Amino acid sequence: MSALAGTGRLTRLALRRERAVAPWWILVIVTLAMAVVSYITRNMGTYEQKVSYTRLIGSGGFLHALGGGTVEPRLEVLATWRSGGFLYVACAFAAVMSVVRHTRREEDAGRGELIGSTAVSRRAPLTAAVLVASGVSLAAGLATAAALIGLGLEPVGSLAYGAAVSVAGWVFAGVAAVAAQLARDAGAATAIGLSALAVAYVTRYAGDATGQHWLKALSPIGWSHLVRPYQDERWWMLGVPLLAGGALLAVAYRLLDRRDLGGGLLPERLGPAQAPRARGPVGMAWRLHRGLLAAWAAGVAFFAAAAAGLSPLARDLLARPSVVVDNIVRTLGMPAGKALAAYSWYMILILAYAIALYPVLMTLRLRAEERSGRAEAVQATPLSRLRWAAGHLVVAGLGTAGLLAVGGLVFGTLFALLVGDLATDVPRFVAGALSAVPAAWCVGALCVLAYGLLPRASAAICWAVWILTAALGQVVAPLYGLWGGSPVEPFHYVGNPMTASSSGPAAQAALLGVTAALLCGGLWALRRRDLG
Amino acid sequence: MTDAVTVAGLVKTFGSTRALNGLDLAVRTGEVHGFLGPNGAGKSTTIRVLLGLARADAGTARLLGGDPWAEAATLHRRLAYVPGDVTLWPHLTGGEVIDLLGGLRGGLDRRRRTDLLDRFDLDPRKKCRAYSKGNRQKVALVAALACDAELLILDEPTSGLDPLMEEVFREAVREERRRGDRTVLLSSHILSEVEALCDRVTIIRDGRAVDSGTLAELRHLTRTSVEAELAGPAPRLAGLPGVHDVRSDGDRVSFDVDTSELDGALRRLTEVGVRGLACRPPTLEELFLRHYDRAGRHAGAGR
Repeated sequence: MSALAGTGRLTRLALRRERAVAPWWILVIVTLAMAVVSYITRNMGTYEQKVSYTRLIGSGGFLHALGGGTVEPRLEVLATWRSGGFLYVACAFAAVMSVVRHTRREEDAGRGELIGSTAVSRRAPLTAAVLVASGVSLAAGLATAAALIGLGLEPVGSLAYGAAVSVAGWVFAGVAAVAAQLARDAGAATAIGLSALAVAYVTRYAGDATGQHWLKALSPIGWSHLVRPYQDERWWMLGVPLLAGGALLAVAYRLLDRRDLGGGLLPERLGPAQAPRARGPVGMAWRLHRGLLAAWAAGVAFFAAAAAGLSPLARDLLARPSVVVDNIVRTLGMPAGKALAAYSWYMILILAYAIALYPVLMTLRLRAEERSGRAEAVQATPLSRLRWAAGHLVVAGLGTAGLLAVGGLVFGTLFALLVGDLATDVPRFVAGALSAVPAAWCVGALCVLAYGLLPRASAAICWAVWILTAALGQVVAPLYGLWGGSPVEPFHYVGNPMTASSSGPAAQAALLGVTAALLCGGLWALRRRDLG
Repeated sequence: MTDAVTVAGLVKTFGSTRALNGLDLAVRTGEVHGFLGPNGAGKSTTIRVLLGLARADAGTARLLGGDPWAEAATLHRRLAYVPGDVTLWPHLTGGEVIDLLGGLRGGLDRRRRTDLLDRFDLDPRKKCRAYSKGNRQKVALVAALACDAELLILDEPTSGLDPLMEEVFREAVREERRRGDRTVLLSSHILSEVEALCDRVTIIRDGRAVDSGTLAELRHLTRTSVEAELAGPAPRLAGLPGVHDVRSDGDRVSFDVDTSELDGALRRLTEVGVRGLACRPPTLEELFLRHYDRAGRHAGAGR
């Protein structure tokens, strides 16, 4: 019997289940690559503008490190400098999620046991998962190359760029394959895989920012950067991630051959034997979702610290006269003299758009509770459906506000220590971050309405709501020329409290009113419909 | 006769928990073997070792003449497994899952598939997320029974089935037994099911087999309940070896006696004169309760 018996059938099964997910990842990657090209074509049409932008990039290690490498005033080089960092990470991220989905999550669900009892080899499920993940990465890379060639970029460079995107997915499929053997469950496997991705990104970034290029050469994400598409196309560089991915897969196979199905190499800890006291709906929701909130708080604090760490650089950069900086500041609708405050607000906005995902995920958890039948068991107790939902929503709402406060506090404190003043900056930053709370709630409330009215479509709607909010918002929209965002998303109405051009209490009250109306509508629909 | 499953001295630990503690099990080819034990006794762990899904820490396990860990995929062509808690892919239909599992096992008998779907009254066009627990169980049962496997490993397969479907299941297992070359390992804690279906039984507790044999053998090794109506007042029986729980009421007496001591107890009764006598072998329930009496006085009495 071959060591890979059953792989073909399992691959077909995984592909079939991947139908709903993979096309979106490919679309995101291709769209981003194309959007950056058209952004640069539109906003830096002339050679002089490109030179000026290149000089701006070259002037600061931290800005330069966003894309790293040698930047030349050519459309394709500027475009890959700008989009590469995102595309490699996006492809790697998709690969991690895909491998874990088809290995550890299947084991957690018990389907792995059923499959394992049939005539498939022990290695077949992992092989199928890695084949599917790397196939999707390959498709994403090829589609990117094809799209860029279609936009008129040089074919050889475009193929190199697509290949660099694909190999990032291949390496991290290998990382996830190992993580899936180490972890206790799918959640832990995802966490290990994504942590490795974060470390790879930070190492690559630090290498470019500090000029320590050996750091970049150590990072799997750095390997993709080092292919240098449209410059000297170092094809041999693709061999490093290809070999590394193969080696990781070999390690994963060795670990797999040693472990029990459903068991990991990291030990399982025992939990408490009893719950501390009787819990209400809020207490129960807190117990169920505190882990997610803690993980988010850590991520937000990390990003805020990084943003604050960049502030000395931003100060120096903004102090220099520059047409491009003036353009950016003006188009963001900020007075030229307050460029540093504008930078701070921009960072807080990035945080706020990201944090708006938290209430969205909490709504998805509400749906997951319902789908799994756990909500049914809970509501068979005297706990009413509305109070059950309200418990989750209280945790979601306060959690959102708490995350923004954490972001403002960490950012403000470090900013003050580096370039400002503790007494005034900390409250200013916290207040600034908290001013985004009603808008973030509003995004979550729209998801709650979708969950109440259209439970089956709610997962898709929730993601679409957040993606559209972010894509049409003030952070991402300028990438494709929509300066200042668009009025269809709630953050548009937050104003900018950091430069005292706040839209004032009226807009905030209106946002709160809309939020309340959406929430009431959602809960009303939830109460009227069938559960399950 | 050869053995389809041979397990000796099997040990499996999870951290500080010893799930299997020197387990022995022998299942002969062609028999329906009951595998009895309460929750947490180690039934599912044993099955996972037999399926090569978990590796034993010590001891040996042989399945269909092969090593269940090293030759897992090869051996799995010849067996079918039904888990106690069936989870399926929510977006696939029941019929698709049956064919998927059948394909992974190396093909299934289409006619038998149709026949079983009909007998279990299962609609194969429904998506798995719409199935109740019992219907998911039926999907797994149909997939297993339709694939013509030499060995069926069934882990509490009737949980969630209604009594009518339980009878359909029993009939299907009896058909397998009638063929003579089919072996069934049936893990259960539903005693009536085991009593109705199984040729031999292994009872396990705390990861160790405490009894094994045909139902008749097990009964032979344990107590008999006796009720007698006597010609005169009841004699003193309580002091006799192997006699327990004596209750007497005038000329009527009832007691339990270890089967090996039956002769002595009956002799004492005939000395008085017996007018009526009822002897009853213990039910499986009684065997079972005795083995799981946590005080443990009689645990392993059959060995």
